[in-house]
This record gives sequence, structure tokens and C-alpha cells, in this order.
Amino acid sequence: MWGPRFLQQLVFAAEPTPSGGRKILICLFQRGAVDGLSMVVPYGDKDYYAARSEIAIPQPTPKATAEGVLDLDGFFGFHPDMAALLPVYKTGHLALIQACGSPSSTRSHFDAQDFMECGVANDKSIRSGWLNRTLLACPEDRAKLTSFQAVAMTTMLPRSLQGDHEALAIPDLKMFGVRDTSELGRGVTSGFEGMYEGAVDRVLHGTGKEAFDAIAALNAADPTKYSPQNGAQYPTSAFGRSLMQIAQMIKANLGIEVAFAEIGGWDTHVNQGGAAGQLANRFTEFSKGLAALYHDLGDRMADVVILTMSEFGRTVRQNGNRGTDHGHATCFMVMGGPVRGGKVYGKWPGLAREQLYEGRDLALTTDYRDVFAEIAQKHLGARNLQKIFPGFKLDPNRYHRLVRA
Amino acid sequence: MLWACVALALTAVPLQAADNQLTPDQKIVHVLDRLGFGPRPGDVERVKKMRLENYLQQQLHPERIDDSVVEKKLAAFNALSMSASNLMESFHEDQRMAAERKKAQAESEKQKDVKSGSELADANRRASNVQKLMDDKPGEHLSRIAVAQLQDAKIIRAVESNRQLYEVLADFWSNHFNVDVRKGPCQVLKVVDEREVIRPNVFGKFRDLLEASAKSPAMLFYLDNAQNSAPREPGPGEERLRSRVREQVPGTAPDPVNAGKPRVVGGINENYAREIMELHTLGVDGGYTQKDVQEVARCFTGWGINLRTGGFEFHPRRHDDGAKTVLGHILPPGGGAKDVEWVLDILARHPSTAKFIATKLCQRLVADDPPAALVERVAGVFRATDGDLRKVVEAIIYSPEFYFPATYRAKIKSPFEYAVSAVRAAGGMMTPEGSAGPPLTARLAVETGATFGRGMDRIAGARRKTLNLSIIELGQALFAYQAPTGYPEDSRKWVNAGALISRMNFSLALAEGKFSDVSLPTDDLLRGVDIDKPDLVLNRLDEVLLQGRMSDATRATLEKQTFGPYDSATSTVNVPQLVALMLGSPEFQRH
Repeated sequence: MWGPRFLQQLVFAAEPTPSGGRKILICLFQRGAVDGLSMVVPYGDKDYYAARSEIAIPQPTPKATAEGVLDLDGFFGFHPDMAALLPVYKTGHLALIQACGSPSSTRSHFDAQDFMECGVANDKSIRSGWLNRTLLACPEDRAKLTSFQAVAMTTMLPRSLQGDHEALAIPDLKMFGVRDTSELGRGVTSGFEGMYEGAVDRVLHGTGKEAFDAIAALNAADPTKYSPQNGAQYPTSAFGRSLMQIAQMIKANLGIEVAFAEIGGWDTHVNQGGAAGQLANRFTEFSKGLAALYHDLGDRMADVVILTMSEFGRTVRQNGNRGTDHGHATCFMVMGGPVRGGKVYGKWPGLAREQLYEGRDLALTTDYRDVFAEIAQKHLGARNLQKIFPGFKLDPNRYHRLVRA
Repeated sequence: MLWACVALALTAVPLQAADNQLTPDQKIVHVLDRLGFGPRPGDVERVKKMRLENYLQQQLHPERIDDSVVEKKLAAFNALSMSASNLMESFHEDQRMAAERKKAQAESEKQKDVKSGSELADANRRASNVQKLMDDKPGEHLSRIAVAQLQDAKIIRAVESNRQLYEVLADFWSNHFNVDVRKGPCQVLKVVDEREVIRPNVFGKFRDLLEASAKSPAMLFYLDNAQNSAPREPGPGEERLRSRVREQVPGTAPDPVNAGKPRVVGGINENYAREIMELHTLGVDGGYTQKDVQEVARCFTGWGINLRTGGFEFHPRRHDDGAKTVLGHILPPGGGAKDVEWVLDILARHPSTAKFIATKLCQRLVADDPPAALVERVAGVFRATDGDLRKVVEAIIYSPEFYFPATYRAKIKSPFEYAVSAVRAAGGMMTPEGSAGPPLTARLAVETGATFGRGMDRIAGARRKTLNLSIIELGQALFAYQAPTGYPEDSRKWVNAGALISRMNFSLALAEGKFSDVSLPTDDLLRGVDIDKPDLVLNRLDEVLLQGRMSDATRATLEKQTFGPYDSATSTVNVPQLVALMLGSPEFQRH
């Protein structure tokens, strides 16, 4: 077993009981701007079909086929390849927020992602992430800090988790540890640990400590043995693996409170497809991954909220390549035991030309910060939300009441 | 006159107090670190002997440096010298075979249900024949290995080329004009982009580099401009093709509204227009609007690719020939292909571009937050020389800021810089056709697969792997960054616990000789040192690997590590472990 013994003991001391566990938030970023109009289709709006002659998803058919949308409330319907999430919606554990996003007018992926992850609209002076500041704003959780409190399943720490609070970036749990089992490498771990412990380099000293603390905690939990429960089947992709390992860390009681994963491939400028095709394949992977996570976590979902986001939506009209260009509002999802789901939230702005943002995009009726703030406050118990969303006038009356307090 | 000199000297002194300056040796190390991929054993002495000034001048004129040894090593990488049309031919052939294999497999699946003996055998035979064809002659399927050849060549050049500054800048520009090889034919077209767009223009004019990139088929495909076209009525052939697609592609929606009306095909695709301004020239705050994006997109309509020859093509029929207004400049109607020439002139000469390029180059070469005064001066040189990139780089590396003590070892190495500098520090050489391990083509296929995210589990457990595979594992698959930003120039983004552990594992694997394409002369490192004398070994390794910069804390740890088991005359120092520890140390993460 790697790592110093005292750290392992610390980990055990911090271990919560599985039932009265801490609240957990899992954030999933759909990078590249997902077409919310294809994910949760406004099939009741005739302008939708007018704008998308070749890529619209047909209306629901009486007998559910792979062709038409899956009705949700008589106006909206899931894309057929989101089918895996329909049962979760019907159970009331999945809420959808249509026409949601950032009021920022930028159509740059990278600026928009940065802004959203910083919890701002357009302010470039804010450099730390909203999740990081949320963790700082949960005082009682600071006391039971563990290395795994905030984990991103990425190579580089995403902006959401950058800041003063410790956070880990782990692309794959299996790779997390020094491979010191060879003849030559025996004892090398303590050498590395010693060097980083003594380093005057503030940045590398801190990062080194995080690394070795985490290795110790992970080994105590023995991550090599894992099989999903309740028949959950994760997609074999990197996204599927990320979600599975998040479930694994939660069940190993490593003290995880905020997890982050991402999935790309949403920037469908060309041949986005309709009920089948490029975008449909992304929905399959995305929804099956989420459904697997939901089923795998089982009873633990009582303490878990999963929040999906994307930097903006896509143009209402299809472009010249049967694709869509960068737009404005899109659709967010909130899933979990504490969620008041089974409903599509948000005022529908309509798709007639005069109703569109800048004459081309779905208008915004829910500021994404009203969703984030509600979850940070009611689910994670964050205080002083003004520090998490600087420059934003918070008003709990605007909350959709997506989660039970 | 004499008085003037004294006065000048006096005013100069307080600004550059001796203890606030890099020593001559530190300056050399700094140059080797930042304007190259780190020192090899003996490099510091070599530069000292030829004088730093001469070294810099040489590096600024790579054509004066003989590099034939490296180029000879690259001869085995046949895809790199192939014409675009041959590469595309190979790409299409591979696509066709992959489709065939998929079909054959699907058939064999279907047959399994029916269980008709002879038909099943037939389908199986067909499937395995296609598979066999793919396996037997991987060398003939260049598109499967072109990606790995491109990556390996970049690594070999970084490790061994004497044109170190040139390789650093080639990496910079390739990353600036990022193309992800995982998008369709980019897996072969990036070969041409690297060879004919990036590398020839590293020390040229920015305007030329920008135009070369705008015409690069790899870029045109990657950022969708090949699909950017003015809306128009289709020809009869297109109409037929379209209705066929409609019948055959499931899920294509009916067309309730436009039925009966004359159909319109083509249309604006804004993707490239936006990124050329946001990421290649002006920068996101460079003063353009959504309207400018739309207008530039109109200028770029009809700029496309011939998918057979892999060449650039302008299609006048797809071009929007109306008047346009770009950043306040009015472009008259009927400009045709000239529209883009005008746009490129406007963008290349815009002051925001000078500032944006200066900032990014200073970030790469000087500091994550480069001094504003330096950026301003460098941008001035960019403007004054009409974007002469040699002059721009010169302005940076001759600036006092470049040698500020605060910039010394201030940046964290990227995974690529880290891996390459470790091999160089240990005096390693690349052996692409290495005697051990699987044949070259087979391992290149594995590397390409890994770049596409396939087989990572197997690779993680492999006993021996290539340097390229390890760089993929470290999180910086070369030429394979999905977003058009490229990898971040801000080096702080690379610091995190997971990455640090991967680097420790890398240094361990390197010191244990686990890379199949790296030969490491560990004995040479310690030539003339008594291996039974731990303190001497430690001193030598500090000198060679860390240029004598080992901290007290690191030394204390390593002494403990080394002297611990050293208890009798029969035991010797575990040299590979010491090498691993030093290359994985905090000191070695920075440059």
C-alpha cells in the first residue's frame, strides 16, 4: 500500500456513513454548444418545422418508433435517442429547463465556456470557477476536507474548479498511482513524496501534497475492484468511463462532494442529422451514460444532483450544410433524488422570427445562474452566493424550485 | 564623451544590480530551456565555447545549421513526403475498406442468427479476408499510420534537431493554427499542412503564413469552410443526389413547408470566419462583431477542397459576389477570390493582430503573464516590419525581459516539453526502427489508434511503449487537440495532481529503459565517476540532469534514498532510480 499511514487514518476518520451521506453535485459540461432544440424538441411549435426542413425530428407517432420524438408534456418531446432518460423523467427525478443559458452575446465557444464556468456573464476579471467558489462558501464542509472533495475527470483542471479550494484532475482512476512495483522502482514513491514535501516551489509543493494524499485515500478504497450495480451499463467511451468512475468514488466514500466530467462533439455545423445521424449518436452516448449513472448509484441518488450544461445553443434555422451555427439559449437538465422532476421548466419564448434573439437564435428565458445558484444554495448549502455569482442580482423568487431543500 | 559614458554606466547600474541578474551560465541554460527543448549533456559547454550571441544568431537562421542526421532518421516515415493526392487516395481506400469490413461483419452477425452453414462460412471468410488485408499490409494503408509518423517525426526533431528554436516555433505555429487530425481526412491532410503551410513560414511574414493556412485543405476541412457556400439553386444532378439521400438516410425529416417551392442548396457556414478572427488574428477582444463574422464568412464562400487531389480549390459558383463590409472596410461586389485576399490584408495588418500574436509569442517564450511593456514593444516590431516573424522573435529574445530573473524557470513544462527535455537531459537518442519490439508499421498503427482514443487500456499495461504513446498518456496527444484554440500557452494549466503522478511514472519508465524507441546511455552519464561513491554520483547527476540546480530539500531526500541501502562494499548506487527521481523532481518540472 502506498502513502503514509497517518493519511490513510485521516481518510477513514473523515468517512461519512453511507446513509446520512453528504450532498453531492455532479456537473457535466456538453462542450461545443448542444442543440437544445434537438435534445428536447418543441414539436408543438410549428415554426420549429419551418426552420429546419431537413433536420427536424418528426412529431411523436402513436406507436413509439425510432423516428419521432418521445412526448414529455404534449408540447416538448425527447429526441428518440434520449430514450434512456425517459423512465427517469417519468419517475420525477429529471427536470428539464428549456431556453436556458447565459445572457452573454458572445458566440465564441471558449469565451462562453469560460464565462459560464466562472459563473459570470461577461466579466473577464473573474478567474476562478463557480464550483470552486461554491466549495469555499460551504463552511461546514471545509472542516471535513478530503483530497477527493472536488474531482474532475479530465487531464487539465476545468475552469469551473480552478481557484483557492483544492481540487483534483484525474483523467482515469486506473492511472492514478506511482508504478513502483519493479525491482528498480522499489521505494521510489517515498523518494518522490519527500522531494515534493520539501519543495520550496509553492505551486509544486501543494500539488505534490494533493497527489500523495489522494493516492493514499484511493488505495485505501481499493479502486481496482468495481462492478456497476442494478444492471447499469455504461457506454464504453471516455465519457462513460468518467461517469462510472465517479460512481465508483462516491460508493467508496472518498468524501466526494463535487464531481465534474465533460463530453464533446456537439458543434454540429455540418450534417447534424435528424432522428438519426451524427447528433443522434451523441445523444445515445450522453443519455445512456446518464441513465447508467442514475441506476448504478441507486439509493445513493437520494443525495445526488446531476447538472448538465452547455455554453450556448445553436441557430434555430439550419444552415447551408444541414447543420446549425452558434446560437444563444439551449436546454439544461437537472437530475437526482432531490429534484422535482417530470417537468419541462422555463417560459417558452417561441420561434417566430420576431421572437428570436438577434433574429436568429432561441431567446433566453432562464439565466443559467438562477439554476446554478438554486442548486448551490439548496443542495450544497452554500452561503454568500453573491461571491459565487459576482455582478448578478440574485433573487430566490426567480428560482424554478428545481430541488427540494 | 568619457563623462557621458560614465553617466550612462551609473544610471544603468541600479537597474541591473549584479545579484539581480542571471549569471552567464544561467543565461545559457535559460536559452536552451526556452528557445529549445532543454539542454543535452555538454550543450551548456558547447554554447559557452561558441558564445551565446553566435548561438542565438545561428538559431535565428536555421538554414545555416546542418541537420542532415535527423532528416536521414525520418526517411523511414514514407507518408511525410507523399503528395496530397497520394495521401488522399490512401485515405479513401482505407475508408472504403473499413466500410467493407463493417458490412462483412454485419452480414456475418446476421448469418449467425440464421445459422445456415455455408452462407455463414462465406460471410465469415469475407470478413476475415478484409481483416487480413488490413492487418497484413499496414504499410500500404498510410492513412492509418500517417498520424503516428507525423507525431514521431515531431518528437524526433524536438529531441535531436540542432535547429532547436525552429522546432519550438514550428510547434508554436502548428498549435496556433490548430488542426485536429481526428477529423475526417485531416489525418492525412495535416501532413501536408505541417510540411507546406507551417514549417516553411516559421521565419517568414505572418501574412504569408495566414494565407497558406487559409488555403490549407486541412484547415478548410477542420473548420468547415469547405462547406461554406452562398445559397443558390441546385443543378439537376445535385437535385437527384439529394432526393436519393432523402430516401436512403433514415431519420431525414419530411419537408412540410418548402415542398413545391424552388429548393435552395448551400449556405453560409460561419465556423472558420469566426475562428480566423478570434483565434488566428485579432483575438477575442480584437474589436470585431457578429456582423463582421457573417461578412467574413461571405468572403470565404466557395473556398474549398478537391477531395480527390487534396488540393485547394476556389468554386466561383459557390461564391457570394455581393458587396461586403469587413471591420469598416467596404469590399466592392464582384471581387471573387480577391475578397479573401482583402480580408487577409485587413486582418494581418490590424493592430489587434500585432498585439494578439505578440502576446501569445511572449507567453510561450517569456512568461505566462508577459510584461505589458514587452508585449507593446514586440507588437510595435510586428507592425513596423509588416509581420516579419524573424524580427518579431528577435525582438523577444534580445529583450531585457527575456533574461529577467523572474522569468528564469518561471514556466511549467507542457507534457511534450517535459518528455522531450527528459530524454535530452539524459542524453537519450531516438531509435525509430528500434531493434526490439514489433515492426515499425505495427507500432505506428497502435500510436495512431491511441491518438483516436483506442486501446488505451492495453497501452497503460504494456511493458514497453514508445515515447509518443507516453506523451499521449501524459495528456498531450500531438496534432490532436479537439478545440481550435490548440493547447494552452499558459503553462499553469498543466499543473495538477494527476498530471504530476503521470510525470513521475514517465520518469521511472524512462530511467528503467522501458521506451522501445529511446536508447539511453546511462553509463555515459557517469563516465569517470566512481559508482561506489554516492555523493559523487549525486553531484554528477545534479550537474548533468539539473544543471546544478538541485534544491537542499531534494538533495536531502535523494541522499536518504541513496545512502540508505548503501551499507557494504558490494552494493552500488541504484543509478536508474536516482535518474528517475531527478527527472520527476519539482526542479525538473519547470523551465
